[in-house]
Amino acid sequence: MVHYIGLILDDIRLEQIKGTGLEDKLNTLFGGQIKQLVIEVPEEVSKKILAEFPNARIDSRSFLEDLPVAFKRALFKEVVDKKSLGVEVVDAVFGKIDEIKELAAKESEYIPPPDIDTSEI
Amino acid sequence: MALLKTPPPHGGNLVDRVVRNPDRAKKMADGCVTFDIKPTMLDGVPIRNVYREIMSICYGFFSPVDGSMVRNEVEKVLEERRLLSEWVFPYPLVFDISEEDYKNLGVGEGDRLLLKLKGQPFAVLDIDEVYKIDPVDIATRTFGTPERNPEVVKVPFDKKHPGYMIYRSMHPVILAGKYTIINEPKFREPFDKFWFPPAKCREVFKEKGWRTAIAHQTRNVPHVGHEALMKNAAYTGDVEPCRGILVNAIIGAKRRGDYPDEAILEGHSAVNRFGYIKPERHMVTFTLWDMRYGNPIESLLHGIIRQNMGCTHHMFGRDHAAVGEYYDMYATQILWTKGIPSFGFEAPPNEVDYGLKIIPQNMAEFWYCPKCQEMVYSETCGHVDMKQKLSGSFIRGMVAEGIFPPNIIMRPEVYKAIVKWWKVYGYPFVNPKYLEEKDKNLEVDLPPMEISKA
Ligand SMILES: [Zn+2]
Repeated sequence: MVHYIGLILDDIRLEQIKGTGLEDKLNTLFGGQIKQLVIEVPEEVSKKILAEFPNARIDSRSFLEDLPVAFKRALFKEVVDKKSLGVEVVDAVFGKIDEIKELAAKESEYIPPPDIDTSEI
Repeated sequence: MALLKTPPPHGGNLVDRVVRNPDRAKKMADGCVTFDIKPTMLDGVPIRNVYREIMSICYGFFSPVDGSMVRNEVEKVLEERRLLSEWVFPYPLVFDISEEDYKNLGVGEGDRLLLKLKGQPFAVLDIDEVYKIDPVDIATRTFGTPERNPEVVKVPFDKKHPGYMIYRSMHPVILAGKYTIINEPKFREPFDKFWFPPAKCREVFKEKGWRTAIAHQTRNVPHVGHEALMKNAAYTGDVEPCRGILVNAIIGAKRRGDYPDEAILEGHSAVNRFGYIKPERHMVTFTLWDMRYGNPIESLLHGIIRQNMGCTHHMFGRDHAAVGEYYDMYATQILWTKGIPSFGFEAPPNEVDYGLKIIPQNMAEFWYCPKCQEMVYSETCGHVDMKQKLSGSFIRGMVAEGIFPPNIIMRPEVYKAIVKWWKVYGYPFVNPKYLEEKDKNLEVDLPPMEISKA
């Protein structure tokens, strides 16, 4: 069975994929308000991911969710670098798995807040 | 048809056990044996603080309950979900202490105990009865078992259920009797803005002209699916839609991964402050309670709280106040549609003697339909295979990644409420630092108060 990882793109990420050809592979949700790139992951790879990150799980749509932010950031970087949504981007991320796990452990305590003005709240 | 009006409080009258005259308060507490309130702990983590129950009882949220229950009342609640006065009530509420503390205190029936919170006098407990409980027995009977409650309980409760563990972790000695608050706690920001005890809430309803109002239970930051639920459920009413939507958040012990309470309250408040539902029709409040996750049992408490606050209607969703798969996902809706005899309800809780007067509005869910191009009700839209759900984990993932959610998923001002508290705690969700501070600071501060020793 194939599983999926969705990478949601905000304006900053959309800018980063300009000219990579990935623009044509965008998947939209919620009336076009969400744009995402979807990576297909063979079952043996998703098993490997679940083994590394105990909080991760597969939801009812067969998407891997609750992955560490560090993992998703690294994955997006590989997607841009390799201009690909193939499983090789996941393999490349696994090449740096120790570094990512270290970052992931830290982010269970602290994640830097986005730099937006919240004074109206 | 007859027009609906604000229902009476559960049991007939709102409990008000708060002494506001400082001289009288001081006299009540002078010379009493004192006890510092301690949280109920599990593996070193606080999972309940009885101060929240004392607040909810004394300010009338749990009317007609007015104290820590005597043994016969606990038994009746567990067997029939009725108080000794016959009024429906779902949970045993008791003041529990350890054998060691009991010995050291040296108090008994007829004594008055002064309870301190954060080092200051807070309330007194007039002891009517002292007895012992078996916490495992209370825990098991509170939530039910597959054998005794086959209609809705699917698997036995265990250590993974937070509410079950609250009862299991209680101390064995119970001091039963009425509570009286003698030193009113002051809520810290932002809780102070949302504190509407039932008597006050009813006054506000009157000012707003809310003859009818529907309650929305929450312990989440609202996404647009919640907003759609509130707006649409409010179309029930009588000759017109409900005039008010009352959001009532349950504030208490937290679990890692929850949104902070502050973000929940200010997130809901942003829905009306920025006009998604105008403030004339929507208000945000909270009740102090360490959630027991009792699904149908919890829904009874929710009904009682919101009836006491003045609501005519209450929304109930699937998996209402649920965790795990202990109960049937429709257990609450079954209770409010036909009753659950094994829990003491041959008919829905609003159709039995001494029952509730609030009207249930059972709701399914809202999701986005790309064909209809709008948020749709799951039981109305015919394009089910195209549904795009607003799943909590999907949104949490987006928040954690620092991605500004689009307007159709979460309102920008609601997201900003998350970020505001993210800046304070360094994390968008509850982390160990948040739990530590919550345990230390609670939601309140207590003014200093001098009490004479015996
Ligand atoms: Zn549709």
